[in-house]
Amino acid sequence: MALSGMRGLSVFISDIRNCHNKEQERLRVDKELGNIRTRFKNEKGLSPYEKKKYVWKMLYIHMLGYDVDFGHMETVSLISAPKYPEKQVGYIVTSCLLNENNDFLRMVINTVRNDIIGRNETFQCLALTMVGNIGGKEFSESLAPDVQKLLISSSCRPVVRKKAALCLLRLYRKNPDVVNIDGWADRMAQLLDERDLGVLTSVMSLFVSLVSNNAEAYWNCLPKCVRILERLARNQDIPQEYTYYGIPSPWLQVKTMRALQYFPTIEDPNARRALFEVLQRILMGTDVVKNVNKNNASHAVLFEALALVMHLDAEKEMMSQCVALLGKFIAVREPNIRYLGLENMARMLLVTDVQDIIKRHQAQIITSLKDPDISIRRRALDLLYGMCDVTNAKEIVEELLQVYKSSDSAAVEKRFSCGSPIVC
Amino acid sequence: MINFVLLISRQGKVRLTKWYSPYTQKERTKRLGTKEGEKDIYRMARIRERKTRDINPNQMYQGWGRPTPDAFVRRIQETEIEEALKRMKSGKAMGPDGIPIEVIRELSGLILTRGPKLCNFVEWRGYKVVYRRYASLYFCMCVDADDNELEILEIIHHFVEILDRYFGSVCELDLIFNFHKAYYILDEILIAGELQESSKKNVARLIAAQDSLVEAAKEEASSISNIIAQATK
Repeated sequence: MALSGMRGLSVFISDIRNCHNKEQERLRVDKELGNIRTRFKNEKGLSPYEKKKYVWKMLYIHMLGYDVDFGHMETVSLISAPKYPEKQVGYIVTSCLLNENNDFLRMVINTVRNDIIGRNETFQCLALTMVGNIGGKEFSESLAPDVQKLLISSSCRPVVRKKAALCLLRLYRKNPDVVNIDGWADRMAQLLDERDLGVLTSVMSLFVSLVSNNAEAYWNCLPKCVRILERLARNQDIPQEYTYYGIPSPWLQVKTMRALQYFPTIEDPNARRALFEVLQRILMGTDVVKNVNKNNASHAVLFEALALVMHLDAEKEMMSQCVALLGKFIAVREPNIRYLGLENMARMLLVTDVQDIIKRHQAQIITSLKDPDISIRRRALDLLYGMCDVTNAKEIVEELLQVYKSSDSAAVEKRFSCGSPIVC
Repeated sequence: MINFVLLISRQGKVRLTKWYSPYTQKERTKRLGTKEGEKDIYRMARIRERKTRDINPNQMYQGWGRPTPDAFVRRIQETEIEEALKRMKSGKAMGPDGIPIEVIRELSGLILTRGPKLCNFVEWRGYKVVYRRYASLYFCMCVDADDNELEILEIIHHFVEILDRYFGSVCELDLIFNFHKAYYILDEILIAGELQESSKKNVARLIAAQDSLVEAAKEEASSISNIIAQATK
């Protein structure tokens, strides 16, 4: 299927595909770059169609790994085009070809701003997407207030608002001062009441970032997060399109639990009870099923729930459930679950009073040390390093020595050199 | 946060790249190999180190590892600085967005050689790369070390399902000749390295709306040129 809609582009891509070796490919690319360069020089004669075609070719060449050090100006200038097709190409290629430090971006800040505050919804979306993907400090300073306005506006459609939320997240990461904490705690609480789950997903990402820097300021949002989680876990009026293999938006569930992990504790007894009910349900009710995607999604939620339980250091009853679950996970065949089991068990070592239970799994962990998968071996090694103390040092070191003899892994060596002083 | 998305074929050919954080900054690449370049790196390392310390001490509460700032902001390690210096000295060409092609090469070497029954996560330079293979294509997303891996794995699948729906049983060839479509679609799914829409229906609707806008503009343009052609006859 060669329907790129641009013949010249398709032909060029076929040409590249027909090259037998790297040298031929380079020659073809150089020829094309030369061609584009001369065409850009006599810019007057270029139709919008041609401009788009050349800019796409540049992106393709860039993707192949070649240096494309000209034509940035032409790419960026497409953003200022009045018509949607050119503007769209301009925005997308710019956000792939340039990074936030490129000087040409400065030239379009005004155009971008006009698109953001303008009435044309599709232009707003394009502009927000680009700023969200490559906006730097300067964009942050000049655009943040406008983006905020879009996010909280009641007249904007969800499609614009969800993009505005993530765009603001980017700008906030570049410059935390753009979000004034005093006013935002209340606004954030309002935003978390959002009914549209697309917008809510984006808003939750923004919230995770805000709360990670200053949990104190957002206490008022905590009950809302719990409510969202309850609603999702009970599958209460979640539109069909937002369930993924039967699971109500696993991503939103994960993000919400992530946000909750930034609050030191949960004092409100009602919220606490509700939250633990949900967590209990997740811990107990996640079964292994045949469908891989369903399994992954439900376990993504489960592992996040585990993390949240560990963080809240709940009633010890739940903690022992967690350890039991992890013990089960590190013994399964499925490599992803085993990897995550080992990883989370190492995190669990930080929680008091569970070390002894973890030690019971030592033999199982040592088996993973000999796994063919380097990722799993590393996790096993890290975990053994963490759980090593006077009682089991001899055994662990012996095992490590054996592994060390039979492997060329630099990681073992590194762990060895840092481990030995503690062990001895 | 997703730092970048990478699509590579089994032969190591790149089919799509999208970066949400600049891997290195252009200013630094300009000063390749000079003494100042080295100083820069150390300065950056110091700033980063300080950042990990200075975050509001109130939130240095005791608790489980993840949320404390130390765990949150990855500390720069000596080995990383060494590595960066090594890279700078060699003066390797970097793309205009400052991404060394080496990153891609290194990663494809790491991922393409993995056997079929291993886990979908690879640890790499202090990050994690979550990947999934579909026929001849590997979809890779590089995330921070403390991100939820399975969640990312399903974002990949979500993306693939949307591509599948759009192209009608997508294959590598579709993505080669329509790589720009893949970029449009990705932009409706991720912004700033975060998931923006988990409803396939919504994404499909938005992409269809974009397509029809482009079509409409094309028709308009051709009708105008017809009018001009007729008028100048």
